[in-house]
Amino acid sequence: MKYLFKFPDIGEGLTEGKIFKWYVEKGQDVKAGDPLVEMETDKVVADIPSPKSGTVIKTYGNIGDTVQVGSVIIELEIAGVDGEAAQAVAQEKPAGKTEHQVEEKNFGVVGTIESAGEGAYLPSSNEGLQSMPETGAPAPRKVLSTPVARAMAKDRGLDINQIKGTGPAGRVTKKDVEQHRGAGAIFAASHKAPLPDFHPTTLIEAVPLTQMRKTIAKNMLLSKQSTAHMSVMDEVEVGELVALRDKYKAKYAEQGIKLSYLPFIIRAAILSLKLHPVLNAELDMENEQIVYKKYYNIGIAVDTPEGLIVPVIKHAESKSVIELANELADLSARAQERKLTLEELRTGSFTITSYGSIGGYFGVPVINYPQVAILGIGRLSEKPIVRDGQIVIGKMLPISMSVDHRIVDGAEVARFMNDFLGFLKDPLTMFLE
Amino acid sequence: MFETYNPIDDKLYKVIDNAGKVVLKGWNNPLTDKELIQAYRDMLYERTADTMAVNFQRQGRMGTYPPNLGQEAIHIASAKVIAKDDWVVPAFRELGVYLAAGASLMEIFWYYKGNENASKFAGAPHLLPISVPIATQLLHASGLGFSLKYKKEKGVVFAYVGDGGTSEGDFHEALNFAAVWQAPVIFIIQNNQYAISMPVRQQTRSINMAVKGIAYGIPSVKADGNDFLAMYDVLSYAKKQASAGNGPFLVEALTFRRGAHTTSDDPTRYRTKEEENTWLTGDPLNRFKSFLNKKGLLKTLDDKSLEEEYKLKITKEFEAAEAAPEYKPDEVFATMFEQMPDELKRQKHAYESYLAGKERQK
Repeated sequence: MKYLFKFPDIGEGLTEGKIFKWYVEKGQDVKAGDPLVEMETDKVVADIPSPKSGTVIKTYGNIGDTVQVGSVIIELEIAGVDGEAAQAVAQEKPAGKTEHQVEEKNFGVVGTIESAGEGAYLPSSNEGLQSMPETGAPAPRKVLSTPVARAMAKDRGLDINQIKGTGPAGRVTKKDVEQHRGAGAIFAASHKAPLPDFHPTTLIEAVPLTQMRKTIAKNMLLSKQSTAHMSVMDEVEVGELVALRDKYKAKYAEQGIKLSYLPFIIRAAILSLKLHPVLNAELDMENEQIVYKKYYNIGIAVDTPEGLIVPVIKHAESKSVIELANELADLSARAQERKLTLEELRTGSFTITSYGSIGGYFGVPVINYPQVAILGIGRLSEKPIVRDGQIVIGKMLPISMSVDHRIVDGAEVARFMNDFLGFLKDPLTMFLE
Repeated sequence: MFETYNPIDDKLYKVIDNAGKVVLKGWNNPLTDKELIQAYRDMLYERTADTMAVNFQRQGRMGTYPPNLGQEAIHIASAKVIAKDDWVVPAFRELGVYLAAGASLMEIFWYYKGNENASKFAGAPHLLPISVPIATQLLHASGLGFSLKYKKEKGVVFAYVGDGGTSEGDFHEALNFAAVWQAPVIFIIQNNQYAISMPVRQQTRSINMAVKGIAYGIPSVKADGNDFLAMYDVLSYAKKQASAGNGPFLVEALTFRRGAHTTSDDPTRYRTKEEENTWLTGDPLNRFKSFLNKKGLLKTLDDKSLEEEYKLKITKEFEAAEAAPEYKPDEVFATMFEQMPDELKRQKHAYESYLAGKERQK
């Protein structure tokens, strides 16, 4: 019988591990408990032993490869009686039993505010109860209220179940009824809006966040909460840059180098940053100072199936356009395979996102905090422009930029943009500087 | 007997050296040959079970587990001294003690597979649950000891803690309480040199752990925790004292955690191979084996075949734990309050949707 062994989480919440050493190979017999592979994880370097005795049919992954927790690492042929086969299948889906644990009849009870007659429990504060409607739990069946509030609501033709109670355990008080009336129909209507039903069998799907999505979410919110975002947009005619790139594209392609516009853009950005150092700085509020960076570590936003990754080209100022092109290719390829080291994601001083390669002209990029500026490159397209009184076809590149207005003034961004667009418009100046 | 082992002099009570030679002058062997052989078998059983537990964890068949490797002498000596009336208050690294108190290996595995129900230890009415919050269990031990005394019941309490636990306030409160009330509690500090990654020299400025007991007026002894015979002597003496109404006793058992803190820990990041090797020469099982060999007691005992026999037995226990029911998510919420508060209901609700979503994602 075939047995698939999946890489287990051996250290409380691991998501992946790296293959360090294989102890077995195809065709080899292994005994239960024998080491199969040595894995390096965030927490430990450990031998992974075989749960079964059998013969190795196939090993998955080479030394140095990253393996996701839960993915198959080895396939064994085990001499199986039926009982053993059943057990092996059960092993593969250990969590399968939990699915039907939610009992429908209990479900309606969850989130229901108990009436006073049903139980003596009153929380010391009503915090938990007040937050309940926001969680999307089913609407209360019957609310607690004082008799006078109930009578008042009845007199005024109000449904007491729609009134938010602020008394102990969410009890509706006289004051709540009065205030509810004052808030008017719009407020009441919003309360009647259907709440999402989190019943597991309906048409929504709750998908747990991946570690990466959690990190992205945290960083994005941190940036928006910690900075004063301001954006400017402009476009530039890059006919000369297109011609320059077209001229050398084939030549470098022969050497296996993909010459895109991005390395030119990086170079133009660095030259402009040198002229406007505050955009390559950081605000240190704790010590009330601006920290100017004498290095230009350029983060490049890379779209991957798991989400956005921003690897960093270190000391990009010391690299030629071709060197930048090579490094870009390498970083984005490894970003796709999630093979970047933590070090390659750190210490960026400025970020460029070229979303235009997918689509869109202008955008409001979110600053890669604690950096102070991010440059967004839109889609290059042909547009009619006016040159020397004539309408001609221009190759237009849209540029968007967000800065932290706390330390970067609008005028300074405009000056940066003028220089940056100037380099792109007349690319040879980049190489004269 | 232990009057000359004042912790202030930092004297170590030790019976045999690393080569298994008796080095304590005037020592009389208190155990029969049969008892000595059984103790060795028990140590080997604990070690085999413990090694296999780590192996099962690495196969993804068990949750986080704290290895006992290198501390078996303390456990099996305790096991030999603990009687039916006595109570056991564990920390979480005393496998051999739990087994002696009546827990089954199946329950231990079941517990580390995440089932809280395993802590009920059906066959061990005097064994408290494994305590992960450091040193909190010592307060329970002192309370338990006080209760035994108050109710004039038989038995003493064996309470365990690590070197790191001595820095917790609970440790000091428990010692003081037990001393003031002269409660029959034996505090056993397994000083295994590391509190996760924190070496003991950074844990305390005291010359040893035993002096901490002296401060509270508790007779205390520092003993070689890798020497089964030393541990047996000091624990039997402690029990005699506590049973006789002389109040608590503290034992510092000097040992070395040869394994990781838990299966989520990598000791190579904070200690050297040299240090590990130094302690390896004093491994409790090897030392005791050398002692028994000198007496010619192990002639008929074959470690290898014994281990094979144990492995089969242990595998059966593990398979029983795997076949046992899983912990239901609602049990996490159900057991704390008689009537579930709304906030907890909300959490339960959210967790159930989360699990259902996770399930569909597979």
